Amino acid sequence: MTTRRILVVDDQPDLRLLIRLTLRSLGEVTQASSAEAALAQLAQSVPDLLILDVWLGEGISGLELCRKLKDASATAGMKIMLLSACGQQSDVAAGLAAGADHYTVKPFSPEALVAAAAGLLDG
Amino acid sequence: MIMNETLPTSAPVPADEARRLQVLIDLDLLDSPPDERFDRITRLAARLFDVPTALVSLIDADRQWFKSRVGMPLPGTPRSASFCAHAILQDDVMVVRDACADARFADNPMVLGDAGVRFYAGSPIEIGDGARIGTLCIIDRVPREFGPEERTLLRDLAAIVANEVAALELKAVAERERRSAATVRALLDHLPDGVLLFDAAGTIQSCNPAAEHMFGAPCQVLAGQPSSALIGIQPKAVARHEGTGRRVDGSTFAAEVSIAEMTLDGRGYLVATVRDVAWHRAEQERVRAANRRRHDYFRTASHELRTPMASILGFSELLLKRDFDAATGRELIDIIHRQATRLIGLVNQMLDLARIDSGGSDQLHPAPLDLVQVMEKVKAGIEDAAQSARIVLHPALGLPQVQADPQRVQQALANIVANALAYSAPDSQVDIGIAAQARDGRPGAAVTVSDRGVGMTPEQQRQVVDAFWRAGALPDVPGNGLGMTIVREIVAVHCGLMEIVSNHGDGTQVSVWLPQDGVHAGPESS
Repeated sequence: MTTRRILVVDDQPDLRLLIRLTLRSLGEVTQASSAEAALAQLAQSVPDLLILDVWLGEGISGLELCRKLKDASATAGMKIMLLSACGQQSDVAAGLAAGADHYTVKPFSPEALVAAAAGLLDG
Repeated sequence: MIMNETLPTSAPVPADEARRLQVLIDLDLLDSPPDERFDRITRLAARLFDVPTALVSLIDADRQWFKSRVGMPLPGTPRSASFCAHAILQDDVMVVRDACADARFADNPMVLGDAGVRFYAGSPIEIGDGARIGTLCIIDRVPREFGPEERTLLRDLAAIVANEVAALELKAVAERERRSAATVRALLDHLPDGVLLFDAAGTIQSCNPAAEHMFGAPCQVLAGQPSSALIGIQPKAVARHEGTGRRVDGSTFAAEVSIAEMTLDGRGYLVATVRDVAWHRAEQERVRAANRRRHDYFRTASHELRTPMASILGFSELLLKRDFDAATGRELIDIIHRQATRLIGLVNQMLDLARIDSGGSDQLHPAPLDLVQVMEKVKAGIEDAAQSARIVLHPALGLPQVQADPQRVQQALANIVANALAYSAPDSQVDIGIAAQARDGRPGAAVTVSDRGVGMTPEQQRQVVDAFWRAGALPDVPGNGLGMTIVREIVAVHCGLMEIVSNHGDGTQVSVWLPQDGVHAGPESS
């Protein structure tokens, strides 16, 4: 079985560390602090799962990036999990409308995140 | 005499007395000043019939009152002693040749007394549909004959009196109508709402001054235009239609239009009232904007509270469920502590902001304030000596004291200084100017904090006071994005001004101006 690769995009260093520690049992976890940095990495190689924060400070938003990646043939097959501290129904609906495969609301339980990520990787 | 005892001296009341009296009252003739139009008739009658006394006598409920009198010293007499009260009971002229010989009048005080009435002839004055309001009568102190020709003459003169009364009545009616029309006109002229009158086809016929003002043209210009040109709708009965009014110059205004149908002289019309609701709409928009801002604030606040919570919950769960080496464990606990500290700082600042926001100037404790002293406290309050040393004060001479809340002003200035230190090079100088300054004629003082840091784009300058907004280029700068929002609110409750001048890459200058007389003490501080 090949090693699964996961890319975490979040502007908060603590959150990136938390997700890396949480998901390291599932595979190789790399990180980016902005949508622009993520695009640069994706141009090199496409991971199996992208964990993407919705609010990324200035620049391209997570939603925008998600739409873009689902529209591009090279990344359309990659699973995307949106991660956000905005947990209203309309926020979740907007995330799924942008093409996300899953929407996780912060704060989250690491165990639940592992289960959700594993589900996406196996699905 | 038997006849005297059996026949009443006062006349019976006519069958239509109530209606007759009402007609008399409506004529408004009783107790009115003498009128030449009646006086010339009584003068004429006295000359014509060669009698000492001629009267226009009006029969009131319990008196007769003389609208015109020749040879009569009294303005009126009791109805009980009135000859005329008898005269109005019959259709034709009543003649008493010799009162002493007439059972009805032989014991009448006018006959027995100084007046010495012997002869009386009276012709009823009949108004409109037959109400006899009184008589034209002639009186003599000696008995007389009164032939058919004389009766006809008196009857004709009485008819002339009746005509004069009718003419007066017509004039009174016309005056009442004129006054009522003038009232309606004045009402329309002063009505704040525009009133437009359309014919059935929707063409404007007439309008009031408010409508002229509203649509920017006189009535003559508006007349003939279709309703759709001015109020954008076909005319049909409608209540409170929210629409747009169009002035003749093409500009528009928010209008509330109501249209009602009406009939005038058998023709159908439509009358529209137009109310300029621009102010009302603007008010609604302000409320909507405030609600939107509040909603955005809570949405962002929730996001900002959840973000440190994600670290705290996530790392603590990992620590509980997984095994880490001592160094990693310590690092995670350190993160939890840092995020919890950030969380409580955020909560405190949010509460602070809410307090300033809701309390307004009532929550302030104003006192005469020396801004140089306040800035020195701000500088002394910075724990890191190296950072504190970057601050250089430039106080001007002759600074006025301002009336302001010392704690709040210090908090605001500390926030500005902290930003200046954080968003500029660690060894660069931060200059603080303090000077007297008048704004809009109000004396006051301004503190200007200038850094030599990264500066802000015009968009960033607009956003800097938004709650939770942070200059994103420097993620390692601590803060929660509420600092400048708090500054804005503190300056606002002091009726002061805040200005930000910045060129991206070339430093930022933030000035806070406070009025010298400032805010008055709130109830708490009194």
